Amino acid sequence: MPTPFRTTLWRVLLVQAVTLALLWLLQSRYTADFLR
Amino acid sequence: MHWINWAIVATYLTVVVVDGLRRTRGTTNIEGYFLANRGLPWWAVGLSVMATQLSAVTLIGTTGQGATDGLRFVQFYFGLPIAMVILGVTIVPFLHGAKVFTAYEFLEKRFDAKTRSLTSFLFLLSRGMSCGTIIAAPSVVLSAIFGWDLTVCVALIGIPTVIYTVLGGVQAVTWADVKQMFIIVFALSAIVVVLILRMPVPLDDAFRIAGATGRMQVFDFSFDLSKTYTFWSGILGGTFLMLSYFGTDQSQVQRYLSAKSIDEARSSLLMSAFWKIPLQALILIIGVLVFLFFLFTPAPMLYNPEHDAKVQRAEPVAYAELQSRYGASIATREAAARDASAAQRAGDRATAQTALLSFRGADSTVNAVRTEALAAAARVTGESSRDVNYIIPRFVLDHLPLGFAGVFLAAVLAAAMSSIAAELNSLSTATVIDFYQRWFKPDASDAHYLTVSKTATAIWGVFACVVATYAATLGSLIEVVNRFGSFFYGSILGVFMLAMIPRTRAPGAFVGLLAGMATVAAVSILAPSVSFLWHNVIGAMAVVVVGSLLSLGGPTTAPVRR
Repeated sequence: MPTPFRTTLWRVLLVQAVTLALLWLLQSRYTADFLR
Repeated sequence: MHWINWAIVATYLTVVVVDGLRRTRGTTNIEGYFLANRGLPWWAVGLSVMATQLSAVTLIGTTGQGATDGLRFVQFYFGLPIAMVILGVTIVPFLHGAKVFTAYEFLEKRFDAKTRSLTSFLFLLSRGMSCGTIIAAPSVVLSAIFGWDLTVCVALIGIPTVIYTVLGGVQAVTWADVKQMFIIVFALSAIVVVLILRMPVPLDDAFRIAGATGRMQVFDFSFDLSKTYTFWSGILGGTFLMLSYFGTDQSQVQRYLSAKSIDEARSSLLMSAFWKIPLQALILIIGVLVFLFFLFTPAPMLYNPEHDAKVQRAEPVAYAELQSRYGASIATREAAARDASAAQRAGDRATAQTALLSFRGADSTVNAVRTEALAAAARVTGESSRDVNYIIPRFVLDHLPLGFAGVFLAAVLAAAMSSIAAELNSLSTATVIDFYQRWFKPDASDAHYLTVSKTATAIWGVFACVVATYAATLGSLIEVVNRFGSFFYGSILGVFMLAMIPRTRAPGAFVGLLAGMATVAAVSILAPSVSFLWHNVIGAMAVVVVGSLLSLGGPTTAPVRR
């Protein structure tokens, strides 16, 4: 049986938040100063 | 390519076709053939949804885009998780509960037959054409890389797919998708590992070098309607595009209509909500890593070998001059990259920034020479250059260890075949259910419909292969597939949104649909700078507004309940 929808929904939001945070970190760490 | 790589590709093709043939046993009636008797597990449907969306264009075009443009394309997918959640609580329960075969069938239950027929016809029109481009995209690349005739490449991808889709129906499509998704993820992961291991400078330095060219820029918050990939176009336009694609496009709707229950259908969609953005980011990072790899390993001036050979033949003197300047410029750029890495190792931020700035200048010189070479290629061949789509195939074939090229080629075929199979399967369903059964032969036997369905799948397969053979000159691989759909997509979504609104009526839906398409057409003609991602929002909103206004004052009709 799949996990209840509400639980899955929270997990989706969590995974997206973590992904976007990682992408943000990647951008802020590696984009050169002169491009900011 | 080494025979071991070919053996891997041959094994993959054999397994997919043989397994598809085994699935014919479960398809003795039309519900089995089109919907697997609504009995598939959510995880298989979820992988099938992902495999259907991920085409060969994603593997070769998007990785190439990562190499030339960096990570910002990932913003295109920001609306996807939002769309999946919205669909999970809106359209999915309606469609799954209505026990329909096609999404458009639901529109007849809610509105009328002509709204159903028009939306289904628009689906057949746009998907029938796009199916051809989905075969054409990898075929063109394979043809240039291996020097084969385009028809051979179209046949290599098209024939096995048509065989297992015709004979095995949705069962074969879904279970093949599951295997194909594993092959794709395995191939991508293997390439990442090889790229990291082969990077001559520490990864941290390498990413900083990529960052000096703007390739590590993910987010663009500017609200500019002419820019295709911004945070806002991704969140708003992307949500509407994904709502249309996953909620109203039969090639996706049919995937989750085959799930066991509404809950399982929702969960299958949420699998994409979980994994699409991370997977897409991984694909773009592979592109960035390949760009970095080619900083330290001499890269070809033109990645498309066919164009390279033609320019060399047609303009030998100019080619030699360009090649000489290109060789010098990539040597300077490599030295600048190594200096930048050394400066970062030394730990002095100011020196490192100066070194990165020099590297950026050297990279611009390389790009300028390449632009000249691409212009020469366009002049000589008469074709607009699609060089970006050859970067990853060249890297894979020239630089990966033995066996990897075979796995990657199998993954490209898998990505193409999984998308084509789902589309053929859904094109046949819409043809048979929405037109043949609805208008021509409503009371035939199940056996008759099954035969007609298999024939329709085969005809659509042949049609797609023919389109693919002639679609070689169509526009950019990445955007052409989306563009085909975006003209109608928003408007069709608008009709489904209207169906969710109580009191809206059939005349409003039909006229609203026409008004939506007319609005999108007007916007694309009068304001061509508005990015296609916004067309979906505009189309959907026009349908909802016009449809609601025309429904004012009429008798109340509640939406169909499950």
